[in-house]
Amino acid sequence: MKTVVITGATSGIGLETVRLLTEEGFHVLGIGRSAMNCKRAKEHISSHNPNARIVFFQADLMQQRDVLRVAEDIMAYLDEKSGGQLHALINNAGCVRSWYMTTEEGYEQQFALNHLAGFLLTHKLLPALQKARGRVIMTGSASHKGIKIRWDDVMLRRRYNPLTAYKQSKLCNILFAKGLNDRFAHSGIRAYVVDPGLVKTDIGNKETGSLVNLIWSLRKRAGVPPEIPAKTYAFLCRQEPAPEGLYYRHCKEKKYSGQVTRENADRLFALSERLCGLCDDTARQERTKAV
Amino acid sequence: MNVFITGAAGGLGRALANECGSRGYNMFLTDINEAGLFRIKQGLERQFNVTVTTKACDLTNPHSVDKMLAVLDTHGIRFDMVLNVAGCDFEGGFLERDREKLVKIVLLNNAATLRITHALLKRRRQGRPFSIVFVSSLASMFPMPLKATYAASKRFLLEFATALRQELRKDDVNVLTLCPAGMVTTEETLCGIKAQGFWGNVTTAPLEDVARRTIDCALAGKGVYTPGLMSRLLSFLGKFVPRSFVAAVVYRRWHHAQRKWMRADIIRS
Repeated sequence: MKTVVITGATSGIGLETVRLLTEEGFHVLGIGRSAMNCKRAKEHISSHNPNARIVFFQADLMQQRDVLRVAEDIMAYLDEKSGGQLHALINNAGCVRSWYMTTEEGYEQQFALNHLAGFLLTHKLLPALQKARGRVIMTGSASHKGIKIRWDDVMLRRRYNPLTAYKQSKLCNILFAKGLNDRFAHSGIRAYVVDPGLVKTDIGNKETGSLVNLIWSLRKRAGVPPEIPAKTYAFLCRQEPAPEGLYYRHCKEKKYSGQVTRENADRLFALSERLCGLCDDTARQERTKAV
Repeated sequence: MNVFITGAAGGLGRALANECGSRGYNMFLTDINEAGLFRIKQGLERQFNVTVTTKACDLTNPHSVDKMLAVLDTHGIRFDMVLNVAGCDFEGGFLERDREKLVKIVLLNNAATLRITHALLKRRRQGRPFSIVFVSSLASMFPMPLKATYAASKRFLLEFATALRQELRKDDVNVLTLCPAGMVTTEETLCGIKAQGFWGNVTTAPLEDVARRTIDCALAGKGVYTPGLMSRLLSFLGKFVPRSFVAAVVYRRWHHAQRKWMRADIIRS
């Protein structure tokens, strides 16, 4: 049985994708922010499909210490239950913040959760993905088009705007997917971005200010139910051989921003490695080898 | 530039540390939260090419402060700026609060701030201007029923800073008092601002703006910085309205807001 890890698994697109994947026979490891939400989600999935193989892990992925802890727990679980193999990792957790707020490391929260958390988790689960020649799927958005990365102020400390921060984080998702393909496609790993379209979820209603809350409440009325985008995630997990595109909507490859270049992907990769302390890890390993 | 920041693991402290990091300042950070200090140090060093030193400290405990000062003296670290951010408040009316918690507000917001300011003035870098920033509050401008101890502790800082500014002017020391209204630093503060409704929204200032302008004001030699047009207007109007009337209005507003906030807190938990 193939194993899939999915973040943001307790509501919205994540929960619906979990339901679909378990119905298709995947063993799903979901990550949710609160223990209570994980419990509720598990009950929800089990009520639809009593035979569903689903395990939840609790972690606040906005904090890097939690990403590292849950990655370790998942690696141990995979070693024990699936021969250390991970078929797919779905980096779906995301947020919108009306105000500039920071994580414990002082990183802007949308950038930290929407991009860095997935970046770090993917790196920590890479050995299991390589073993299974697995797939990494990011939840993107068409809003990544028409924006550039502000390299001189990537966390928008000088002029924070919630929408700009969100759009930029979604451009980061697709640049990360490209960076992964450039580096690991030769070892069998494929990375994708799913554009879910406008979906009826609560992303703009969680911990946002009154204005963003109101705008999102009105806007999401025109959205599709989460079952629609969930099909694209299931398609990308199921398809053999692994599809070769990068950006998908409604199970079909779509065009993405001209900003998605190798140069930008490499630049973001290097920056993200530094912000996640992966350069420290590499330096430490090199020092240990030298000793 | 060497900067000393207290309360550096919290929302405003982190934002000020980020601002200092982006300007290339080296920092000595302290907070009671040792794990939080370690993480902000990591974050700053990964973002900016600056030297960050940390030491966890309970500023209300003189022995803990002495130990931290010993670290500064051992390494001969001297400063150009001190940002007194550490402070606390506890929700609820005077009689509803724990007695020791009430005392702690004064111990941390006032006694500890004096202790650090005095110690850091003795450890300034010689021959260079020195800046002191006190984090007061818009609450310092008004009598604040249901936040009486907190508001009074912030009033103390405002009065003290204004006098100290005059006293130290001859020594090339600038003293700035920051008087912000609400700032969204955590999910809890966001709930608190939402509970205040219209007034919460219009007086809330963006954290990153406050951090940037605070350092700008300190370097420009300003005395008081109240972020936001509405907050400045309220503090100006407050001077012409009888204080007993202000107290009555504030009581009504906070009574309503605190009940709403506590209800939201119960639902969240």
